[in-house]
Amino acid sequence: MKKIYITAFLFFLINTLFSQDVFPDIYLKTLSGKSINTNTTYNKNGLTVYSFWATWCVPCINELDDINSEIEKWNKVNVKIVAISTDDSRTKRRIRPLINGKKWDYFNILLDENHDLKRALNISGIPHTIVTKGKEIIFRKIGYKPGEENDLYEFILENSD
Amino acid sequence: MNYKKTLLSILFFFLFHNAAYSQLLKNFTSSFESNSAYYTDDSKTGDFNFDNRFRSNNYINLKSYLNKNWNFELQIESYQPSPLLNYSTNLKKTNISTFNVRYDNNNLNIQLGNFYEQFGSGMILRSWEDKDLGINNSIRGLNLKYRINNTINFTTLLGNQKKGFKYSKGYIIGFNSEFDFSEIIKNDSTFLFGLSYVGRSDNKNKSNLYDEITNLFSARLDYSSSSFYSSFELINKSKNPIILFGSISDTFIKKGTALLFNSGFFKNGLGIDFTFRRLENMSLYSERRAFGNPYNESIVNYLPSLTKQHDYSLTNLYVYAAQPNVSFQSKQLTKVGEIGMQTDIYYKIEKETLLGGKYGTNLAINASVWNNLDGNFDFNNQSYQTNLFGFGEKYFSELSLEIRKKWSSKFENIFLYANQFYSKRLIEETQGIVKSNILVVENTYKINDKKSIKVDLQHLSTDDDTKNWSALGLELNLSSAVSIYVTDMYNYQNPEIEKRIHYYNFGGSYRKGASRYSINYGRQRGGLVCTGGICRYVPESTGISFSAITSFF
Repeated sequence: MKKIYITAFLFFLINTLFSQDVFPDIYLKTLSGKSINTNTTYNKNGLTVYSFWATWCVPCINELDDINSEIEKWNKVNVKIVAISTDDSRTKRRIRPLINGKKWDYFNILLDENHDLKRALNISGIPHTIVTKGKEIIFRKIGYKPGEENDLYEFILENSD
Repeated sequence: MNYKKTLLSILFFFLFHNAAYSQLLKNFTSSFESNSAYYTDDSKTGDFNFDNRFRSNNYINLKSYLNKNWNFELQIESYQPSPLLNYSTNLKKTNISTFNVRYDNNNLNIQLGNFYEQFGSGMILRSWEDKDLGINNSIRGLNLKYRINNTINFTTLLGNQKKGFKYSKGYIIGFNSEFDFSEIIKNDSTFLFGLSYVGRSDNKNKSNLYDEITNLFSARLDYSSSSFYSSFELINKSKNPIILFGSISDTFIKKGTALLFNSGFFKNGLGIDFTFRRLENMSLYSERRAFGNPYNESIVNYLPSLTKQHDYSLTNLYVYAAQPNVSFQSKQLTKVGEIGMQTDIYYKIEKETLLGGKYGTNLAINASVWNNLDGNFDFNNQSYQTNLFGFGEKYFSELSLEIRKKWSSKFENIFLYANQFYSKRLIEETQGIVKSNILVVENTYKINDKKSIKVDLQHLSTDDDTKNWSALGLELNLSSAVSIYVTDMYNYQNPEIEKRIHYYNFGGSYRKGASRYSINYGRQRGGLVCTGGICRYVPESTGISFSAITSFF
């Protein structure tokens, strides 16, 4: 038993020193059901914000709503916003009516129905937000509270060219 | 024990081998999750009647992207001294949970080891992981995907299904094909077609009256244009014995079918979605004997309930669980599946209008109704005939209206009203029906950029079952990292006065970057608890729980 704990500890030590920083290439679906690889969906010359959400996740929707309510400000920066839905077949049919009702016109919506990307990035819970520069992951956070969209915006401003 | 030592040695070797090659470590990612609880006796809900008051579930996941083509994944899980209440007894001690080597090369993807897969909507096959529900029904074997071009792709798989730390004796074989005709049509619409096959072999239970292997075939169509979409899916399941009172019947042998139709329309702030589904004798387990097990182990296909997924405690008291199975309990209680529909309407009232106000108003309406299949049920001779589009006795119905309204930059409301009908007799196979009305008001006040306060008030009124409930929740976000909360639900009209219990919980959480730590103390209500369309019975419990989640990148 001890060995396992020691192993785990060593592992973390190693991981905190060296860890993955490249966004993985995974096949997702578009809203109409077409397959699309994440190596074609990022902003090649700037930053990409990936927001993992679901139609049943209230804080996730709050985050995207709060960004959307000031979308004019975000559109002035070289950043692409990709909202990755983790809804499975229980709830995925609500995605299109919901985003239309909310007028999230500037988000790129992709579907990770069986959580292939979520697993590849070791994401445990949502909301989960990731920022990449090209394909390099430069920021990651769990959860959302009102006001944090401003911190995220500041981070984007500081890191965009 | 030798087996374990070997695995540990491999792990050590792997770690240090990697440590020597730091360029490999650059492509490492891992996550850690730990959920523990210490259960206490409770003067109201009773003593803790199980062994080990302290229980802990721990998960370590390691992934290595060795190069562009190869990657490797390992998950170790530890349940010591024993798993949290409501988790499978097949989860014991510490062990390797999943292991996977994967090769990716543009159009070819090969996985060896444990893999997760879904065909279509998952009604024919879905393997996935949900730690909260204790589900990991990954398949261990070979998974091969080949993308011929943008129009056609194939998946084939073969393996045994995970069940705790064990595996099913029989195998699962699958084939899936997807055809995307959008490029051929050459307009803005999308047209997809899919065919799947899944076979489940269970050689533990044999008979001359049915095949060792159960075959499922599915066909589906999807059409989408810029403001309209529609899809259709049909599944056929070959003859399989019915499980009655925990034993496999030698004489009651039936086919299964599933039918799903979905369509939606959206334009200028209005979105409408409609779904119809009919399931007859459709559940599938990798082992026949696993039928109806309380841990949702050995599930091969995903048949979630199609109702509104609620966020509030009182809207989740009487939750519908999908009824895909044949159940002959008595002459009066015979079920063979479900038929029903659901509609969602979303509408945004524009800003600067009378009802929209400064920020606009969001409306969401949901209506659903689910019934038993209609037909002739012969309880004595154990047989039945169903009508294709006949509606039998009602299981559940719900009508809800949700209004989200932002009044100012600081203050926001959510109003929710729901009217529910729940047949406890049919769904839980006990007695009675419950007709209820639920009202929820949630208020969020933003004190400043970092601090906010959220209060929700809930009430459920019913003359049935245990009568009225009230609930409240208070959440304080003290900074961007720290939040604390207290919630309570109270069955204040319960006819049995000693059961008028406050199910209170309080706790807090701290989060920074990709890590979150939380602590909670309180009482967990027993009964049917549903998450993500999957339900299970849980015993009542009281205790303190801790949770830690962290991802490294």
